[in-house]
Amino acid sequence: MSRKDTVVLGVIGADVHAVGNRILEMSLRQAGFKVVNLGVMVSQEEFINAAIESDAAAILVSSLYGHGELDCRGLRDKCRESGIGEILLYVGGNLVVGKRTFAEVERLFRDMGFDRVYPPGTLPEVAIADLKRDLGL
Amino acid sequence: MSLQDRKWEIERFFQERTEVLAAWPSGRGVDLEEALAYHRGLPKEKVAYYKLLKGQAEGRIYLQPRAGVALIDEHIALLRSLEKEGEADFLPTTVDSYTRQNRYSEAARGIKESKAADRSLLNGLPAVNYGVKNCRRIIEATGVPVQVRHGTPDARLLAEITLAAGFTDFEGGGISYNIPYAKDVPLERSLLHWQYVDRLCGFYAEHGIIINREMFGPLTGTLVPPFISHVVGIIEALLAAGQGVKSIAIGYGQGGNLIQDAAALRTLARLGRSYLDRFGYSDVLLTTVFHQWMGGFPQEEPRALGVIAWGAATAALAGANKVIVKTPHEAMGVPSLEANLAGLLCTRQVLRMLAEQRVPETPELAEEESVIEREVREVFDRVLELGEGDLAVGTVRAFEAGVLDIPFAPSRAARGGIMPVRDASGAIRLLDTGNIPLSAEIKDFHRKKIEERGRQEKREPGLRMVIDDIYAISKGRLVGKPR
Repeated sequence: MSRKDTVVLGVIGADVHAVGNRILEMSLRQAGFKVVNLGVMVSQEEFINAAIESDAAAILVSSLYGHGELDCRGLRDKCRESGIGEILLYVGGNLVVGKRTFAEVERLFRDMGFDRVYPPGTLPEVAIADLKRDLGL
Repeated sequence: MSLQDRKWEIERFFQERTEVLAAWPSGRGVDLEEALAYHRGLPKEKVAYYKLLKGQAEGRIYLQPRAGVALIDEHIALLRSLEKEGEADFLPTTVDSYTRQNRYSEAARGIKESKAADRSLLNGLPAVNYGVKNCRRIIEATGVPVQVRHGTPDARLLAEITLAAGFTDFEGGGISYNIPYAKDVPLERSLLHWQYVDRLCGFYAEHGIIINREMFGPLTGTLVPPFISHVVGIIEALLAAGQGVKSIAIGYGQGGNLIQDAAALRTLARLGRSYLDRFGYSDVLLTTVFHQWMGGFPQEEPRALGVIAWGAATAALAGANKVIVKTPHEAMGVPSLEANLAGLLCTRQVLRMLAEQRVPETPELAEEESVIEREVREVFDRVLELGEGDLAVGTVRAFEAGVLDIPFAPSRAARGGIMPVRDASGAIRLLDTGNIPLSAEIKDFHRKKIEERGRQEKREPGLRMVIDDIYAISKGRLVGKPR
């Protein structure tokens, strides 16, 4: 049974956008979560290893630079292979290249196995409220 | 440390070069003799250096968009439209983020999947994968200078390939393309790798081909006080000149307060020139680049165009040699052609309307300029002192000590000890000066300005205020009001 108050946070792939990552970390801590913040340029394997080591209840993936589609593909499968197939997966940011409707983007990432998908500019409060609901906190 | 601010012997350069070109198969396609011959045959209007020289003499402000997609035919079509319909004076080739981290196999996968999906899955052109021949098609298909824009700590192979292809303008520097763009790259290493790039440009210059080198002014694009980007830009300019670069552009990212931005642009040109002259580089052409707002944008396109227009107005009133234009899709990620055209046309309209006007010479402007000049001098002197006269060594030591620091940087090479915040009028100040060696008088100036805002908003300046500032423009204001 994973620890409901622990989440893993990071910016996936070759992305170096650090500002939102810092704000999210501060907001999650203020809301009472234990945060394993992997910072920028995090690989799928690093997310999963950190989640296993910290016994986390959720992995929160950010992507701001457009490669999110390539970087996130296969993450759910890798979680399953690593024995944490049921972990909550959230993703948010500027997830794709080019202007596409958010409904389209949401479907794309839900099909990849993400539980929640957020558009750019989402305030931390929104994701935190969802997280509490999903974890029954 | 093998890093020194001294021009590399050409033998050292060629020794390292063998290894650089072997890093990816396309490196074999680089032939310097052939490249020099190709550059000699380029018409002057396609050469960045000549165009900048001419523009500076005529007092023109050039416009340049950002653009780059995974597939080269689409990339060329995109650039041609930006030139024809957008009247871009300089064209970009923005390089994708895998290439920026030297992950060429992942870039190859991006090309393949983009072909299969018939749309770009990469946020730029993977120029190394395409190699000299393909990249040259970009130069052949366009009529204005094309610049390589990226964010690569180790851009040695990228520079070899794109310059050999006929690009005449290359952005980046050992600080500005490391600290905001990487996590684990030691500063000494990125400075050495950028000395290589500059030495390559120096080699071209020795053979009569002047490549323009542009330093990336906005850094993290998030509440960076002008003096910090000024010091970084000046250091990078001096290090580049030290390797034989003859044309240098230094940049500044819009903060949002007109007086501070005008003071920043005017001091950037003056200080840059005076430091280059002082170090014996009077023969180097120096130009300035202004970046429209680099932080978070509003979602709605008309609001975003408002932000863009304000940047255009600032550039027109304060003066710059070139403006890097944003697009109304900024909040949504990588922009479409239409969005890029909208940004260009909006900016051009404002620039032309304000062409006859200048920011008035007021006591406020004079004070702001004198503060920036003092800040730059105080920090620069300490960097040089730390390096015992060697600027490159001093830069590494200064970042280690936090004497040089950049807010919100992802890199471990920055100490992250400073915290910026806006004052009551939206100018960017330092709430926490960390280890930056500013005089008591300057620290006082920052403190008083921030206290004034605290009184107006009836709250203690702190992290909450900083976060409000970071979100402010995307929520419709410059100064983040209490929520």
